[in-house]
Amino acid sequence: MSELGRILIVEDDPRDEELTLTALGEYNLANEVVVARDGEKALDYLYSRGEFSTRSNGNPAVLLLDLKLPKVNGLEVLQQIRSDERLKMIPVVVLTSSNEEKDLIGSYKLGVNAYVVKPVDFHAFVNAIKELGVFWAVINQPPPGSMKKAP
Amino acid sequence: MTHLAEGPTRVTPRRSLTRWNLELQRGRLPIRYGFSVVCVAVALGAALACRRYGLPPVESPLFDVAIVVTAWYAGIGPSVLAVLLSTACFDYFFAEPLYSFEVSREELPHFFVFVAFASITAWFVSALRGATSTVSLPARSDLNLPEQARAGWHSRLLPLVPLATALCAGAIFVADTVTTTDIAFSTLYAVVVLMAARFLSAEGIIRLAVGCVALTILSYYLSPPGGLEFGGIVNTGIGLVAIGLTTLLAVQQKSAEESLREHAGEIRKLNEELGKRARELETSNNELESFAYSVSHDLRAPLRHVDGYSELLKKQASSSLDEKSRRYIQTILESSKRMGTLIDDLLGFSRIGRAETKKTQVSLDQLVKEVVAEIKEDTSGRDIVWKINPLPVCYGDRSMLRLVIANLLANAVKFTGMRTPAEIEVGCVEREHEVEVFVRDNGAGFDMQYVDKLFGVFQRLHLPEQFEGTGIGLATVRRIIHRHGGEVRAEGGVDQGATFYFSLPKAPDAAERKNTQ
Repeated sequence: MSELGRILIVEDDPRDEELTLTALGEYNLANEVVVARDGEKALDYLYSRGEFSTRSNGNPAVLLLDLKLPKVNGLEVLQQIRSDERLKMIPVVVLTSSNEEKDLIGSYKLGVNAYVVKPVDFHAFVNAIKELGVFWAVINQPPPGSMKKAP
Repeated sequence: MTHLAEGPTRVTPRRSLTRWNLELQRGRLPIRYGFSVVCVAVALGAALACRRYGLPPVESPLFDVAIVVTAWYAGIGPSVLAVLLSTACFDYFFAEPLYSFEVSREELPHFFVFVAFASITAWFVSALRGATSTVSLPARSDLNLPEQARAGWHSRLLPLVPLATALCAGAIFVADTVTTTDIAFSTLYAVVVLMAARFLSAEGIIRLAVGCVALTILSYYLSPPGGLEFGGIVNTGIGLVAIGLTTLLAVQQKSAEESLREHAGEIRKLNEELGKRARELETSNNELESFAYSVSHDLRAPLRHVDGYSELLKKQASSSLDEKSRRYIQTILESSKRMGTLIDDLLGFSRIGRAETKKTQVSLDQLVKEVVAEIKEDTSGRDIVWKINPLPVCYGDRSMLRLVIANLLANAVKFTGMRTPAEIEVGCVEREHEVEVFVRDNGAGFDMQYVDKLFGVFQRLHLPEQFEGTGIGLATVRRIIHRHGGEVRAEGGVDQGATFYFSLPKAPDAAERKNTQ
């Protein structure tokens, strides 16, 4: 592992957040993770405003996005990202409980990079998160301007 | 959805005559106007012949008949010509002084009554003709329009009715001669009845006609001495015949219109009801969809937490827990997994009900081959004898039919777990319009007593320890087959194997059915 990209997780459920962080932690991927609890916070982070106004510059290497979120929902966040010149290159992975075709089509139409249904089974869940983390934060070459950290 | 006819549907009574009428009405102008000239000429000839042979003077009714015939068969334009020609002929041959276009002072009222009667008759006959030949079902879009708008230009002349009546009545008093009075009375009755035909109900017209007859009889007692001349009787007779005929026509037309209105009302009511049902259905469908969505998203999240945290607990405290506690945790984990499967199955089942079917020609042979190849990979350790008979091509949704076959074959494999060798046969029975496919096994079978429960959602006839499964498979099969217009049934006995049948419409049949929808 040469360098680690920053992962932005947008997740409203604290338990899901904990399980996700646990899964990432098992593979030492958790130290470059930022969590936003709703769509508004996620956009605040991306635009470095509000509580994130003092954060260091650069986009996350990947954004793990839940669809059902308070205030601004996942698809709206995705739409905002894809319509902004500065943000549109950020890789976005939808990570949701919904395997409804409606959501799947909606997400891909808005240009999502991957769509992952959270497995109910914990082992499968941990495995999915691990693979996502490894692929997007380690293997994948993120677009220029993404934050990376030497291990 | 079946569309109701948007355009007006023509109702054609007495077909051959109507067709002839319409042909004449549609005919070229010279023919129509020629018809008018011929009619007036025939009337003139008959009237001159009457005078020549000393018969009573019936020239006015004869011209009127010519005008009525022209208006009825050739339309409004030729009828105007007929009125003009008749007026000219009447003036030249029958009005004093004879053989001159001048009209004497004494003859003037008689002349005016003739012109008025001729014009009004032409107008009303054309109106009546127009009304009867276009008796048509109103288009669906017209159904909500007010009655007035559909009645056309005739209804706009409604205010003229009292004026016309007053004119005729005035003519009666001005004209002092017996014959003129008779003509005026006939005219008045015909006009009143024709108007009534347009604007009154059938009962109203009949009552009016009876009143007219009574008035005619009364008029003879009121007329000046010597009034009961032969010519007067003939004129009145023709007038009464005209009244009778127009009454008959009017009654026919009224009843036709009433039944049309009734039908239109019924259609409108049914349409409204249909629209309401469609909206209700849409609402409940939307609710169902959002319900399924909630189940999909919201029910799975807590389940994932139960599973995840139990798993973490097991890992964290495994060493410090006793055997019993570990078993409890294991049970929680198994139950949450089972619930996950149930939710997924239920969602899949509800999705089948909501998904649109994309129907094409599907080779059942090919489908069964694919599914069997898949199953063989998973059952490599078992001794299964497959017997696959030739199957036809069906018309349906490929992925759904694949699910049907996969479910039935997986069931057969599951319930023959204790047989060596297990025997599974797939075949079909072809009938005239449908094909019935069966899947037969020599497995555990079932008690025919519970055959009705077999295809229910989450219905199971075996204990979970014996055979695993959620009990959604056969319900899914039934739902898919029903959506294809087929039927499902099963036969079997305990420990004697089971046979599951499903029928599908044959390919050309189903294609035809789709085309005619």
